[in-house]
Amino acid sequence: MATLPLSSSGAPGASLEDELRQAVGAEQVLTRPEDLFVYEADGLTHHTARPRAVVLPRDKTDVVQIVKRCRAHGVPFVPRGAGTGLSGGAIALDDGVIIECARLDRILRIAPEDRFAVVQPGVINADLSKAVAHHGLFYAPDPSSQQACTLGGNVAENSGGPHTLKYGTTTNHVLALEMVLPDGQLVQLGSPTGSAGGYDLVGAVVGSEGTLGIVTELTVRLSPRPERTETMLGIFPDVVSACRAVGAIIRSGLVPAALEIVDRRTIEAVEASVYAAGLPTDAGAVLIIELDGPAVAVGRQVERCQDHCREAGASEVPVARDEAERQRFWRARKGAFGAMGRLAPDLYVHDAVVPRQKLPEILEKICEIGDRYRLRLSNVFHAGDGNLHPNISFDRRDPDEMERVLAAGEEILRTCVEAGGVITGEHGVGTEKKEYMGLLFSEADLDAMRKLRAAFDPDRMCNPGKMFPATRFCAEANPKARGYDQVPFG
Amino acid sequence: MSAGVDPWQAPTGVGARELRERLRAAAGPTAVEEIDGVSLEGARLETRVRPCSGEDLAGVLQELNTAGAAALVRGGGSRLGLGHPVPRARVLLETAGLAAPPIVDAEDGVAYLPAGAALSDLREHVRKEAEGRWELPLDPPGAGSTLGGCLAAAATGPRHGPPRDVVLGLDITLGTAERTRCGGRVVKNVTGYDLAKLYVGSLGTLGVIETAWIRLRPSPERREVWLAGLEDLAGGLASSRRSSVSAALWVDRAGSARLAPWLGAERAGSLLVVELAGDAAAVEADGAALREEIGAEPVPEGEPLIAALRDLLGEDRGLRFQLSSLPSRLSATARRLAEHGAELLVQPARGTLVAHFLLAPEEGEAAVERAFRGVRLAAAEGEGRWRVEAAPLEVRSVRDAFGEDEALIPVFRALKRVYDPRGVLGPGRQAGRV
Ligand SMILES: Cc1cc2nc3c(=O)[nH]c(=O)nc-3n(C[C@H](O)[C@H](O)[C@@H](O)COP(=O)(O)OP(=O)(O)OC[C@H]3O[C@@H](n4cnc5c(N)ncnc54)[C@H](O)[C@@H]3O)c2cc1C
Ligand SMILES: Cc1cc2nc3c(=O)[nH]c(=O)nc-3n(C[C@H](O)[C@H](O)[C@H](O)COP(=O)(O)OP(=O)(O)OC[C@H]3O[C@@H](n4cnc5c(N)ncnc54)[C@H](O)[C@@H]3O)c2cc1C
Repeated sequence: MATLPLSSSGAPGASLEDELRQAVGAEQVLTRPEDLFVYEADGLTHHTARPRAVVLPRDKTDVVQIVKRCRAHGVPFVPRGAGTGLSGGAIALDDGVIIECARLDRILRIAPEDRFAVVQPGVINADLSKAVAHHGLFYAPDPSSQQACTLGGNVAENSGGPHTLKYGTTTNHVLALEMVLPDGQLVQLGSPTGSAGGYDLVGAVVGSEGTLGIVTELTVRLSPRPERTETMLGIFPDVVSACRAVGAIIRSGLVPAALEIVDRRTIEAVEASVYAAGLPTDAGAVLIIELDGPAVAVGRQVERCQDHCREAGASEVPVARDEAERQRFWRARKGAFGAMGRLAPDLYVHDAVVPRQKLPEILEKICEIGDRYRLRLSNVFHAGDGNLHPNISFDRRDPDEMERVLAAGEEILRTCVEAGGVITGEHGVGTEKKEYMGLLFSEADLDAMRKLRAAFDPDRMCNPGKMFPATRFCAEANPKARGYDQVPFG
Repeated sequence: MSAGVDPWQAPTGVGARELRERLRAAAGPTAVEEIDGVSLEGARLETRVRPCSGEDLAGVLQELNTAGAAALVRGGGSRLGLGHPVPRARVLLETAGLAAPPIVDAEDGVAYLPAGAALSDLREHVRKEAEGRWELPLDPPGAGSTLGGCLAAAATGPRHGPPRDVVLGLDITLGTAERTRCGGRVVKNVTGYDLAKLYVGSLGTLGVIETAWIRLRPSPERREVWLAGLEDLAGGLASSRRSSVSAALWVDRAGSARLAPWLGAERAGSLLVVELAGDAAAVEADGAALREEIGAEPVPEGEPLIAALRDLLGEDRGLRFQLSSLPSRLSATARRLAEHGAELLVQPARGTLVAHFLLAPEEGEAAVERAFRGVRLAAAEGEGRWRVEAAPLEVRSVRDAFGEDEALIPVFRALKRVYDPRGVLGPGRQAGRV
């Protein structure tokens, strides 16, 4: 493949900004500080970097042009969707250019019989499900941010959501990608019907955090809407018994669509907010269980789940009587971030995963860490996947509190890794966790990832400064990580 | 990515005997054996090496790098003919010694399994350890096939989906001889690149898989096999998509004749075989729907029929291709293949077709050409892709075994160059002879 050389500038003397204006139109290029301000951060508000410029491509040809121009000037570029990412992935370090794909927002093809859709990366996640609903189909990955986040961002982060337990994450639903490689070449990976047996490049690109190229088109799988959906709410005296119920349900072979736990602190915050869902504020935790599937099966499964909850100590397990009540149950979960966000100017949404059976023990430790650092910490999480979201409400203008937030965050990650878990289940590494990669991976493991990066982007032009630690580690990766400690290695 | 030159450096001229000595030093004296002259996959192999640990494996790969000597990785050896031949190979690298004790976590439904072990043994081990509550969701053809071979070939059987969806983490020694791990044991994880996806299906050309964390599936409450005579493939699509369907295969007239011993009665025409598994009530309801929709009947002994179908999927006769197609175009795709002389097995819900072309010796190259032409046309009509699953060595030596997009070959080359810069692992095997 011919690689466009770096720093062999286009028109002599022309600035990159001028060339970009010429290539895609002046109104598509933002350079004024007041325009750039909103691009200084994503959802991780305490990591900031001002981009050199923001460009708003209208089609893939624009993206190719932008990439080629940036390359020629030796200026790095960063794809961006809606900026809801929670790991600092969409900020431009090194004075880079942001390529905001939000205007690439067309649904190009819906094939109901073949159950796929071809979309541009700026399509909002929830809009796709709305667009295919009349065919009895939906797009399964449903991050809680689905009303705002883009499918391009979802691909980059391999986003999940409350229904990941049954339906999988984004990677299980992406069939093909069109992308602009970091050298400006446009390629098609995969196909609506799968691959031809060469390397699985679609699989490698999903979850690559915008570091391997810019996705300009996605072909995604659509799923048939289940015949029946039932949602229930287990009211528990404490989080530990709610986790016990989760373990019993999974062990019994049931695969609910969702198993989500909201802890007491979150319930209190939700009930004191506009998201109030009528939850008992004296409950230690609530467990939202959603079951879907064939009508004949779901009824009996509801009863089995209720039994498991009662055996684990639930005082009540009401089943939503109608859609309005179902929405009310979910409000406790979906409004959690909003409600927590009201408690302080900033909210740090952590994200780590532990083996499911370790949930009770780890939650206890996480709450202890929060208390020790005198922080407002609450938990709302995808219990079925073992995916924790300890949320810390804080004020980043208070340097002392900020320091405590970061120290507690690190301790939480270490605790999860010690338990055989990992440092992110859906939000990605970005700038936030790159220095913690060594908790999990050895230098050789990280080099294997660098190799993938090198094959796609040897000059590290595409979203540099993300995912990989700036420093090499002297320490060995924690052997407990991912449970390998039980295993004789070599 | 730079231009596509042959990335592999010339061998250093290390002789067979010296190489064996070096491999013995790396993996122990009993791990290495002289097999001078064995022909396999277009190679004349001189040495067999069977490392018994990850450390020994890394030592072996280090020596191969130093000597610039290529190896062919062999698991159960059931599918060594997948992909292009590997004439440069000098060493047969067997994984059977990579057999660390498996771990089954029946609480979380995950298992840590050695790549060198036979899938049939692992399946049984999981069933026992999990007291029947979980099952290993991998069922490719081939009694002796290993976990590593199944993952490296991305092999599927009639039942479960693709292996990529159940691999949580891998221990893999790269072509560079570096021992690495990716992913983990938890069921949700986005920490770093999803390298397991890259390695699964790579045909052992980037690294040798040592162990894998696999997500298990809950064992179904009930399992039933149903059968219907069905001439028109399109008529079976809706039935194959019912929610409790775990396997659905349409076999043409020729295929159904081969299944006669398992069908109980003489069946003259093409058939749809559907396995239902899961919640008992859902299985019962779907069974009734199959009866209603396509006149299906339950098969009293379903398991042997599914096993026979699995064997039929993997049968080595003449030329065999796997194609994909949009489900809505399956009938047209199948018709096109049949016109070109293919016998067909179709998985309608997955949109995959297995096409067998029997090669009459007197027809020679013309028959091969006709098969390839039919496959290309059919794949284009179905917006699908294709790959050769089985073909005589002479065919794979001169023809592309993968219908990959030419534009991707430089990316494949770039990957090979970073993971296996000296081309010690199955050089030439992959699409683009990478
Ligand atoms: C007659 C028959 C036909 C079959 N046809 C097909 C088919 O058409 N398509 C299909 O997908 N499956 C097919 N299979 C399924 C076969 O079971 C799988 O390909 C796979 O399970 C082979 O396992 P194995 O251990 O025998 O691998 P092998 O045949 O030993 O190796 C298969 C490939 O994987 C590589 N490999 C093996 N072990 C490792 C390892 N640990 N790490 C890295 N690379 C490794 C090898 O180099 C080789 O490229 C067939 C099986 C049989 C018996
Ligand atoms: C309230 C709230 C709730 C959330 N809940 C969830 C949840 O339940 N599950 C979950 O997984 N996440 C969740 N998130 C995180 C976030 O919404 C997801 O990571 C989402 O996928 C980001 O999409 P985005 O369009 O905002 O991408 P951005 O934040 O703009 O970018 C994210 C990453 O994607 C890359 N990128 C963007 N577009 C492209 C493209 N076209 N090509 C290549 N790379 C690209 C960027 O470079 C960046 O690395 C939540 C966030 C918030 C604020």
